[in-house]
Parts: sequence; structure tokens; C-alpha cells
Amino acid sequence: MNSRALSVVAMVSTVMAIARATEGQEGRTVADPPARPRTVWSGVFTTGQADRGGAVYARNCANCHGGGLEGADMSPALAGAAFMANWNDLTLGDLFERIRISMPADRPGTLSRQEQADVIAYVLRANQFPVGTTELPTETPALRALKFLTVQP
Amino acid sequence: MMTRRLSRAKAAWFVAAALVGGVALMTNGIAGQSGLPSTANGEWPYYTADARGTRYSPLDQITAANFNTLEVAWRFKTDNLGSRPEFKLEGTPLMVGGTLYATAGTRRAVIALDAKSGELRWVHTYPEGTRGANAPRQLSGRGLSYWTDGKGDNRILYVTPGYRLIALNAKTGQPIQTFGTHGVVDLKVGVVFGTEQPIDLETGEIGLHSTPTIVRDVVLIGSSMKEGMTVTTHNNTKGLARAFDVRTGKVLWTFNTIPRPGEVGNDTWLNNSWAINGNTGVWSQITADEELGLVYLPVESPTSDYYGGKRPGSNLFGESLVCVDLKTGKRKWHFQLVHHPIWDHDVSSAPILLDVTIDGRLRKVVALPSKQSFLYVFDRVTGEPIWPINETPVPPGDVPGEWYAPTQPIPSKPAAYGRPGLRIPEEVIDYTPEMRAQALENLKHYKWWPGNKFLYSGTLYNPPIVGDVKGLLGAVNLGNASGGTNWPGGGADPQTGIVYAQANLASFATESVAPPPAGFSDIPYQAGVVGAPFRLREAAGAGTYADVPRRREAPAPRAQPAAGAEQPLQNFSTVDGLSIVKPPYGVLAAIDLKRGDLLFQVPHGDTPDVVRNHPKLKGLTIPKTGQGGSVGLVVTKTLVILGDPQITTTAERGRGSMLRAYDKVTGKEVGAVLMPAPQSGSPMTYMVDGKQYVVVAVSGGNYSGEYIAFGLPDAPAAPRSLSSQQQ
Repeated sequence: MNSRALSVVAMVSTVMAIARATEGQEGRTVADPPARPRTVWSGVFTTGQADRGGAVYARNCANCHGGGLEGADMSPALAGAAFMANWNDLTLGDLFERIRISMPADRPGTLSRQEQADVIAYVLRANQFPVGTTELPTETPALRALKFLTVQP
Repeated sequence: MMTRRLSRAKAAWFVAAALVGGVALMTNGIAGQSGLPSTANGEWPYYTADARGTRYSPLDQITAANFNTLEVAWRFKTDNLGSRPEFKLEGTPLMVGGTLYATAGTRRAVIALDAKSGELRWVHTYPEGTRGANAPRQLSGRGLSYWTDGKGDNRILYVTPGYRLIALNAKTGQPIQTFGTHGVVDLKVGVVFGTEQPIDLETGEIGLHSTPTIVRDVVLIGSSMKEGMTVTTHNNTKGLARAFDVRTGKVLWTFNTIPRPGEVGNDTWLNNSWAINGNTGVWSQITADEELGLVYLPVESPTSDYYGGKRPGSNLFGESLVCVDLKTGKRKWHFQLVHHPIWDHDVSSAPILLDVTIDGRLRKVVALPSKQSFLYVFDRVTGEPIWPINETPVPPGDVPGEWYAPTQPIPSKPAAYGRPGLRIPEEVIDYTPEMRAQALENLKHYKWWPGNKFLYSGTLYNPPIVGDVKGLLGAVNLGNASGGTNWPGGGADPQTGIVYAQANLASFATESVAPPPAGFSDIPYQAGVVGAPFRLREAAGAGTYADVPRRREAPAPRAQPAAGAEQPLQNFSTVDGLSIVKPPYGVLAAIDLKRGDLLFQVPHGDTPDVVRNHPKLKGLTIPKTGQGGSVGLVVTKTLVILGDPQITTTAERGRGSMLRAYDKVTGKEVGAVLMPAPQSGSPMTYMVDGKQYVVVAVSGGNYSGEYIAFGLPDAPAAPRSLSSQQQ
């Protein structure tokens, strides 16, 4: 699959089936391939959303998790190896729900769904996942459809 | 009363009835044990197995041959013990007489479970409102304590987040009415700051995560304050250790960890600075020698962690091991591990008491694992070091107003079991020559001491600097705040005199101070970097107690940097996303006290995802790296058992963390089973009705707190492959 095909996949999920078919013709398993889930590598947030998330982060999260998402003695880093390992193979819905029920630690429930999704966009960008042209959704089921994978599939 | 003849069906009925109330007093008889609880009959009656801190059980049903066949016997999710789930469950349960006791949840509830099934027998909670919400040490804590008079008066004692000591009837979970006031002793009463000013009972800063230690009917209680990196005053609550009568709750004695005028050590606080400083708590586990009547207090850092300019002098008993008399609390001896502490070393681990033949002499020793990864070993009667501990020059510092100790005590033996400091360049990342070169470039942003003038390239006891985004960002340390062995401590085999401890070898720290925002504190320097935004450092779980209100209003603005003046701090502590420190990142170590030698040191924990998946490391053969982090262990007849501190995802077994067994003589890994999340509390083991269990607390990332009990399959089963054990 060339890079152009990749970006198309990132934007239009219906094209994915075609891309997979091409892949199959190249010699990989073709028998009833499982639907490949969209992932954090598919360009699932926008620059504008990540920028908004940065402002929310600075107000609500940076005090414990650090201005550079580096964490502190007692608060986990939100960028880098440990963060990636903690969320690998889960979904953005899992990450969203973790934030929703427990963060900010001293006043959970004070961020709106939009603010939470924006913070996740900011964190994804800081972890160098690709920017896309559509914003992250704010509903948990839709976020659950977006897989967090450390390694690009 | 219930007897052993009671049928299983009837026993089950009684247990069920216990939950509804009234007849629970009979449940303790199920195991039919007599005498005092002990690991010798398959129980786990102390947080550290026994009062001596060994974490040792002689059980041997679970072995190298069958560890891989372990399966989940039961699990207990703690989400609803409090108003919100907890993601940092650190407890180690006790097991006495067929009942498992533990703390759990964001309210630090006490639970009693059937040790065979995990079924809830009773639950106790003590809502503390704003006092709990103000607590410096929140969440479920490390556990609780058991006491019996041997005649049927069986009690559970624990410390609430709001610093109350509560005694419960072990059979019913009801408070002991004759203990304190209706079962409660207010531990804040008698706690002071300054020159004996009492702290406020509602807002005064003190708490405790560790468990009471009970020996000879005496309850020993330590103290803990907020994290000490960024604090508002040097005149904080003064640490202390106290003893209480287990029957009445009456205070028996108080040991002042900051000595008062006339007490030994007061003169180590120059300019009367004892009067205006605090902290110096006893937050790690206290252990005791019941026969000798001696108590061992691990004392932490004074105010504040990284700046001590308001407390010139060596500051006894800061970062000292103190031995006191069990009956009177009078000091017998002490040893200060770090003079004038300014690195947050604390004394992190429970002192381990062993009787070992060394050089032909039976010695009663106390061995102390540490964040430095030194095992400090003393004659526990006299305090004399078993092997020389030499005062050694350490790097000087230049923070305005700071007072520096020119030397620090360094044990000559045993050799360090982790990394007290970072040898540069020898211990710097070297997967590829380019990475090594980049790391050495990165290290130019930090202070360390090339050459051999100081140990470990001057990164052991390397004093914090005034960091500046336009200059050096901090002083490199490795074996301090989160390095080596932290609160989970170590363990030991009392028969062989071998001590076991896990150590974090990759806790690269760059210690720096800077003036805090105006009006924040009366301490002129706090953890921070000039030109970078000031950050308040809070303990894990701060503000997450069950009674912290779920506020809906917008947060109050925090101290904000001057507009445009400050940028997030650049991080040079990684190279291509990898630790700047070379593997191993974490080890399990064994130290043989008979000879003072390191017996083995093996990487513990799967190689992290970031290493296994790293594009620049493709094609390289990388031996198992182990993991950073801090985990406790249990020692059995033949094994050392501990879980991974991190989560990893591998093709073979998917996402999870492994609970591992090591041959305790060779260090060879002999088995592993999958857990759904990292080990967050130290494991324990026990036997009920002929079956051995291992219980471990797991949590972290997306996974909320859970106690998981593993046991062998009830029917004989063929060994299974690793992949079949996914849960």
C-alpha cells in the first residue's frame, strides 16, 4: 500500500475494504478478512482540536502531569514509553472513560465531553500520532471504535 | 459453638448469615486453628508476614514444577468501596483462621473475605468527610493489623486516611467499644508543629499509608505528611512514632523523630532549627523484635525534600534507622543513612530482622534495603555495622542558603544490589553507538562529575542545583526519590539468611530547585527550574478520597507563569524515547548475609514495549531488560514471587503483566502467570484446607483495583503452555 493509499484510508473508512482487497491480492490472507479497526494511526483528530486540548490541559492537567506531559514522581507521564505501554491495545474509549470517571483527580466530572476529547487529541499529538481532518468524537461508543496501538499496524 | 465437625453446608449457611448480622462470631472456627496465628500454620498474620519484616512463608505446595499451572481461584474488585474507583491499590491482605482481611477502595474500607472463595464476610467503613478529603495520604493504604489474646478476643486495627486508629472485632467488623472512644483513637491528638503547638484536628497535615505493627499487646504507629518537594512552610507537622495499648487504645509512649531540647540529636539542628521544621515522619513499615523488646523505626526526610537551608546541620533523626525500646520508646541506638537529607532518599523499606552466622558468630542483625540500593546491615542490639560503613566525600553544592554535609556513609559490604548512581559513560544507553553519543550530548544539560573524584560520576548524593532553562537543568541522581527499593521493601529467608529485594535501576532524576511563585512558601527554594512553570507536586491520589466533593465549578486558577516568559521544560532524559540509562532497568537481587555477598541479580519484568517495538532497534538481539518501577515480593520455601511493575503487550500472551516465580537459590525464573494489570501491592501467600494461595493487588492504567488469588487447579492437571493462561 502506498502512502497516498494510506492517507485515503485515514480519511474515508469505506475505502478500507478496497485497500484490504488490494492487500489480499498481493499474497496475504484473503479469506474473509476481519474488518480492520480504525486506530490512532488513522489521523483521528485535527490540529485545531489538539490546540484546544492544549489549553484545557494547561488549566487542568499540567499541574500534576507536567507542562511537557512528562509526569512527576507520583503522576504518570502522558507521553512516552510508559504511557504508550499502559494504553497499547486498548481503545480511545477506554482512555476517555478513565479520564471521565477519575480526572482531574481532585475534581473529576468537571470537564465537558468536548474538553476531554480535546485533551485526548492534545495527548495523541504529543505522542506523535498523525493529525487528520476530522475531530475525535465525544461519545464513548464511537471512541471505543478507535484502537490505541503503539506500533503502526 | 462451631466445631470442626460442622458440615460444609452448615458452615456455608453460617457464613452467609454472618453478612446479615449476628452470628459471625463463629466463622473464625472454620479453620479450627489453635494458638497464636503464624506463618508456620499457613497464615499471614502481619503485613510483612511476621513482625520481623521477612515476607517469608514456609509453604511449599506451589513450586517451580507447578507455578505455570496456577489459575485464578477468586478475585475481588474494589471499585465500590468508596464513591469512585481506585487505580492504585497497594494493599497486602492478612490471612488468619480462614479469613482474609484487607483495606481497599477510595474510602480505605476494611474487608473480611472467605479465604477460599473471596466471598465478602463483612465490610467496615468510616466516613471522615472533609478531614478525609484533607488527608495527605489518601486511597486504600497498604493494609491492616491483627491481634488476638489467644482466648477469643480477636481484633483488626488500621489507620484511616484522616489519621484515626480503629480497632474492630475481627469476627464481626464492629468497633471494639472499650478501645479508645467507641473503637476509635484520634491519632491527631498529641501531634504538634513548631514548639509543641497542636495541629488542627480537621486540617492538620498528617496521615499514614503503612499498617500498625502489633507486638506484645503494643500497637506501633508511624506518621506521614504530604509529598515534600513543593511545600508551603518549613514549619510543618513534626513526625513521630507512638505506641498504644492494644486493649484500651491508651498511648504508651511517643518518640520524637525531631529531638527536643535535652534529647539526643537536638544539637544536629543548628540555630535551634528543630523548632521551625517538620516532617521527618515514619511512613514505611515499622518492624520489631518481640523477644528482645526492640522496635526499628525507618525515619524519612525533614522539610523539605530538596532544600534544607532552613535546617542547617545533619538533622537527626532524618533518614535514620532508629532502634527504640518496645516498652518505653527510649532510643537504644540510631544510624543516619544520609546526613542533612536533600535528595528524598527517606528510609523507604521495612527493616528486616534475621539471625545469621557471620564469620563463625551468630549475629542478630537488622538489614535495611534502600532507594540507594545499598543493603545497610547492623547488629540489631548494639547498632554496630556488621561490615564497615565509611564516611566518604560527596559532591559539594552551591544553592544559596543551603547547608551541606561534606561526607556520607557508604557501606563497604555487601556490594550495591542496584545502582546507587549512574556511572557515566559505562551505564549510559548503548543499544547503538549513535544512541550513546546522543545520550552523552543530552547529559551536558545536567550537572554530574566526570572522573573519579566522586563515586558513580558524582551522581550519588549529587546535590540539587538551581536549575535554569538557560543553563544546567538539574543534578543527575539515580538512587534517590524513585530509585532502588521503595515502599514495598524486600524480604528474606530466616533459615538461610538471604535477603531479597527488587530494585529500580533506571530512575534517572535531575534534581533542581528554584524560587517558588511569590507568596507560595516561606522556603526560598522548591523543586523546580528557573524559567519553567512552577508545579505543585502532590502525592498520588491526592484529592481522590471518597468524600472529596465532586465539584462542578470551574477550577480556581493556579499559580500561572508570567505571560510568555516560560516554556514547558525540555526533557533530555530520554534518547529516541528510550531511557538514557542502559539496561537492566530493574532487577530482583539476592544478598547472602552469611558472607555479605550478592548471590544473584536478575532482570525482573518483560522488556518494555518501547524497546521491543523500537524501529531503531530492529534486528538487534537485546537480552531481557527488566522494568523500572517498584514491586514487593513474597519468599516461600523454594521461591521468590513478585509481579511486573509495568504492563506490556506481546504476540504470545497479549496485554498484561506477569506474576513470576524465581528459584530462590539460583535466581532462575521458573514460572509465570498473566495478570490483567501490573502488580501494585505486594503479594502474600497462605494455606487453607490444604490449598496454597497467592494473593496480589493489581491496578494501574485503565485497570481499577483488584485483589486476585491464584491457586493450583483443584484436580490434577497437565502443565499448560503460557498462552493458555490468558484471563
